Amino acid sequence: MSSEQPSAQGLHIVGEVALGFTPPRTSYARAAYSGAEPDTQQATLLIVRPDGTAAAFSGKVEYGQGIRSGLTIEVADELRVPLEAVEVVLGDTDTTPWDMGTFGSQSTARVGLQLRRAAATAREVLLELGADHLDLPASELECHDGAVASRVNRDRSATYAELVSGRQIVRELQDDVELTAAGQFSIMGTSVPRNDAIERVTGMALYSQDIVLPGMLFARILRPPEYGAKLVDADATIAERMPGVAEVVRNEDMLAVLAESDQQAASAATVIQANWSEPASQLTQFDMPDLLLHTGRDPFLTQEAGSLEDGFRQADDVIEQTYYLPYVSNAPMEPRAAVAQWEDGRLTVWAGTQRPFGLRAELAQQLEIEESDVRVIAPEIGGGFGSKSIYPVGLEAARLARSAGRPVRVAYDRAEEMTWASVRPAALIRIKSGFMSDGRVVAWQSDGYHAGDRPFLGRRGSDTPYAIPNVRVTTYTSDSPLRTGSYRSLGGAANHFARESHMDEIAARVGLDPVDFRLRNLTHPRFRRVLEAAARMFRWSPGASPSRRGAGVALGLDVGSYVAACVQVDARGPEVRVERVSAALDCGLTVNPEGAKNQVEGSIVMGMGTALYEAIEFRGGRLLNSGFTRYRVPRMNNVPQIDVELVGEPETPSTGAGEPGIVPVAPAIANAVFDLTERRVRELPIQSHLDGSSSSEVIPG
Amino acid sequence: MIALVVNGEHCEAPAADRNLLSYLRFDLRLTGSKYGCGEGLCGACTVLVDGQPLRACMATVGAVAGGQVTTIEGLAQENALHPVQQAFIDESAMQCGYCIPGFIMTAVALLHRESEPSPAQIREALAENMCRCGTYQRIQRAVERAAAQR
Ligand code: FES
Ligand code: FES
Repeated sequence: MSSEQPSAQGLHIVGEVALGFTPPRTSYARAAYSGAEPDTQQATLLIVRPDGTAAAFSGKVEYGQGIRSGLTIEVADELRVPLEAVEVVLGDTDTTPWDMGTFGSQSTARVGLQLRRAAATAREVLLELGADHLDLPASELECHDGAVASRVNRDRSATYAELVSGRQIVRELQDDVELTAAGQFSIMGTSVPRNDAIERVTGMALYSQDIVLPGMLFARILRPPEYGAKLVDADATIAERMPGVAEVVRNEDMLAVLAESDQQAASAATVIQANWSEPASQLTQFDMPDLLLHTGRDPFLTQEAGSLEDGFRQADDVIEQTYYLPYVSNAPMEPRAAVAQWEDGRLTVWAGTQRPFGLRAELAQQLEIEESDVRVIAPEIGGGFGSKSIYPVGLEAARLARSAGRPVRVAYDRAEEMTWASVRPAALIRIKSGFMSDGRVVAWQSDGYHAGDRPFLGRRGSDTPYAIPNVRVTTYTSDSPLRTGSYRSLGGAANHFARESHMDEIAARVGLDPVDFRLRNLTHPRFRRVLEAAARMFRWSPGASPSRRGAGVALGLDVGSYVAACVQVDARGPEVRVERVSAALDCGLTVNPEGAKNQVEGSIVMGMGTALYEAIEFRGGRLLNSGFTRYRVPRMNNVPQIDVELVGEPETPSTGAGEPGIVPVAPAIANAVFDLTERRVRELPIQSHLDGSSSSEVIPG
Repeated sequence: MIALVVNGEHCEAPAADRNLLSYLRFDLRLTGSKYGCGEGLCGACTVLVDGQPLRACMATVGAVAGGQVTTIEGLAQENALHPVQQAFIDESAMQCGYCIPGFIMTAVALLHRESEPSPAQIREALAENMCRCGTYQRIQRAVERAAAQR
C-alpha cells in the first residue's frame, strides 16, 4: 500500500473533503451513514509524483464493483496519462480522504467526479508549469501522454516528471475547473481490463480473511445459539488447559478463546460448557406474512396523485392481489474477518468494511480513545452487496487484542456469516389497481409492509413509474424477528416484484401483449428506451400472456438508472430453468462499459437466486439454513445466457450500475412462468412455491 | 512432522491432523486459497494434489503427506501467467475475485484431464464452485478461451 507523505515532492491537489462530496440525496443513504462527522480538514486528493506518475486517493472501498479500475480510468483520461501511470489508493483512514461509506451505487459517480476535477486542476497547473519551463504561452500548449507540448511544434515539450520533480507544489482543487467533454475521452467509455486483475488471478490480492501478522492470536468467539440468547454462565477450565490456548476471555457478553492457531481455538471452544438464556420468540418463516401485515406501523406516503375514489369508480375492472418475499441472505463469498494490532497505544484494524471511517469512529468511541489513535484499513473485500456496512468483528478483534497484548484475528465462519450478518427484509405488498378495457391503468393503490426497524429499507422503488392519474403508494414498517440490513437495491427488489407482477396480471386480464401494455402506460422516454431495447435484443414476439412460450418482461428504476429485462424460462424438467435474459440499462455516461455489464450480469444472477431458490428458514432466533447445503444459491449450471446492452447517453450524468440489474429479474421470471404454465406465482422463491414447500397457504387476504 | 511439497518447495507440517487449508493459509502464508464455507461446498479452497483438484478445507496435511500440492500461487511459471489465469483477465471474469483462485484451480484440473472439454463439461466441472458475484458466464468464456488456446 502506498503511504504518501503530504510533504513529499510532486504536485499535490488538495480539497476540502466535506465540501467536495455532495451529501447523499436519499434518506436510505443518509440513514446508512450514522455517527462520524465529516473531517473538514483539507485532504490530498491527487499527487503527480516526481516520476510523472499519479496517485489518487479515495476513502471508498473495492468490493468487486471495480471502483479502482473506474477511478483509474477517470483520472488517467482527465490527466492525459496512460492507465499504468495512475495508482488509486482506497479505504485507509490514515492515507485517504474521509468518506461516508461505499454504498448505493453512487461510488464511481460522485468520487469519480471529484477526482476528475482534481486531475483537471492538476492539468491546468501542469500547463502553467509547462509555459514557464518552455517559455511559451499556455494557450499554445496541451497535455498529452504525460507531457505538456506545444500544439504548433511537437518538439517543444516537457514531461510531467520534468515539470514536477525536485519541487513541492500544493494547489487547491478548483470546483469550476473545465472537465473534458464527453466526446473527447480517449479511455472512458471503452472496455479496458481491470488494473487489479493480476493480483486476483495469482492469489496475491489480500482480503481481510488473509491478513496474518507475526505473533497473531486466533480468536474463536462463542456465539449465542440464537438471536436474543444471553450468556448465563460458562465453564472453560478444560478449554484453558488445551494445547495452544493463550487465554479464554470472558468480557461481559463476550466469551472468546485465543489460541496460537485457528484449529486450536476452534477445538478449545467446543469443550466450553456454556449456558444461554432462552429467547422468547418462537416465530418461524411461515409466520412472516401475517406478522408483516399485522404489525405494520408508521405509514409513509411515498407517492400520491389524483383521487383513488375517482379512479376506481371510472375503471372498467379492478384487480387486488398480495405479493410476498421472504428474508434472503447476502451470503458474500468472503465471511467477515478483522485483525487488530495495538502499537504504542495506537490501534490498527484491517477490516473489509464498506465504512472504514465509520468503523474508526465506532472504535474510538467504544474503546474510549482518540480517533487519531485509530487506523482502519479496508483490504480487498470479497463481496458484500450492501451488508458489510456493519462490521462487528472489527471491535471484537480490537477488544481482544487490547486484553491479550498481541495482534488478534476474529473471522466468521460460514454459519456465523449467515447468522450474524443481516438479511434482506421480508416484505408483503398489496396492490389494488383499476384499469380500462383498452389497457389504460387509471387507479393504483399499493401498501407495502417491510420487516425491520429502518423504514427507509422498504421505500426504495415503491413508486410506480407508469403514467397513472390516481395513485396512492404507502409503505409500512413491520416487526422483524431477524436483523435486517442492506442488500442490492434493498426494498427496490421487493417493490418491483410486486408492481411488475401486478402489471402483468392486468395485461393478461385485458388480453394485451405485456410489452405493448407497458408502453401504453409509459410516457417517460428513458423507460420506453430500455423497454424497447430489451424487447429488441430478446426478439420479443408480441402476444398476450399466457402464450405457453415462457417469455416474461419487467422494467424498473433504481439509483437513478433505468432498466428492463426479458427472460425465457423452461419448466419441462423437474425445475424451472431460466434459459435466456436480455437486459437493457440506461445509467447515463458509462466510464467502464465492461465493468458495468459485469455488474448487471451479476445482479441478474443474484436476482435469479432470490426469484427461484433463496429463502431464510428460521425457528425462534435460530437460522435453520446457515450453510450452502440448505441455502441454495445459483451455480454455473443454473445460469442462463445473459445479454446486456447499455443504452444510456454519454451526455447524461452517470448513475449507478451495480444494483439496478436486480430489480426486473424476479418479476420477469414470475411473469415468464405464468406465460408458460398459467400459474401466477405471487410469492418467492418460485421453485419452492411450485414444489409446494413454501408459506403460500398463509398469505393473508 | 509431515513432509509434503507445496509449489515445488519441501515443507514440514507440525501434525498430521492440521487442516490443509489452514496450514497453507496461516502457516505457509499462502492465502490465495480461500475459505468460503469450510464444508466442501463452494470450491474457494481448491488446490491441486498430484494434479487432482482437492478441497483443502476438507483435508488434513496427513491425508496429502508425500504429495505434490499446487496452490494458485504456484501456477504462474517464471513470470508468465498460466493460460487459464490469462484467460480470466482477458474475459474480465471476476468481480470481488474471492472465488477466482478456486475456479482457476478447478479449471486447470479440468483441462489437465480433458484437453478439449465441451461447454457442458466445463459447466458441470465448475458447478462445484460458487461465485456469489455471479460472474459465471464470464468464467465459462474464460475456460473456453483457455481450452481453445491449447
Ligand atoms: S472453503 Fe472449501 S469448499 Fe468452501
Ligand atoms: S467474483 Fe466475487 S465471488 Fe466470484
